[in-house]
Amino acid sequence: MKLIHKLEPLWWILFGAGGFTACFFLPALLLGVLILAPTGALGDGLAYERAHALASSFVGKAFLGAVLILILWHCAHHLRHLMLDLLGHSVAAFAAFASYGLALAGTVATVAIVAAL
Amino acid sequence: MSAHAAVPQKTRTAPARAPAGFPFSFYRYRNYVAFAATSVFMAIGCVGLLEGLHALGKGPEAWNAWLAEMARPGALALSLVVLAFTLYFVFRFGWVGRKIGAGRVGPVPRPPLPLPVLGVAPVGGFVTLWLILLAILGGVLL
Repeated sequence: MKLIHKLEPLWWILFGAGGFTACFFLPALLLGVLILAPTGALGDGLAYERAHALASSFVGKAFLGAVLILILWHCAHHLRHLMLDLLGHSVAAFAAFASYGLALAGTVATVAIVAAL
Repeated sequence: MSAHAAVPQKTRTAPARAPAGFPFSFYRYRNYVAFAATSVFMAIGCVGLLEGLHALGKGPEAWNAWLAEMARPGALALSLVVLAFTLYFVFRFGWVGRKIGAGRVGPVPRPPLPLPVLGVAPVGGFVTLWLILLAILGGVLL
């Protein structure tokens, strides 16, 4: 836990950056990719060739990687504090390692998936 | 030794405890918990987007199969819930942000705008960015 507390400024920087990133981009990505594209409301906007070209470009990879990773770390820090608020400080170590561990796993998965595009 | 010369003892803080009725008995507690819970739904949204990217990397059949899977009513309902919590996060984040603009930093004067206008500005900026991104995703831009 000493390391977790020592890195507290880093967690807060990632939390703030991820929060702003979520505000800037997440609603449009969720609406476009998870709702409008599956229902066909975007037409050919996210047909395979175009979607792949957008996502696999250098800018697309950098954008998607940065957005997803920052938001995952934001969620991890918020989740850690939600667990502390609801379950008390007896779960402090579990809350920190579980939430940041999930964010780390999500980061590795994001890098692997985006690099393979 | 006089009382003035005595070394003051370190003040001990009381152990942390939740306020009475926390987390659901008072609307401010409920708003606070709902705001924190947005992290769970936003993380689910990120996992959904990652699944889509994974399918995109595997080829057109996998991408079309993933789109078909996401068009099922259950998946769409979950996506709408995720979007609702995300929008709650964004509007609350932007609404709190107006207080940053209203503050004074050193000699910098307070902006001559009423507080609600300062709240509309960040949310208006967010919505503008969403429209641009949706135009890119829809093929209208780029």
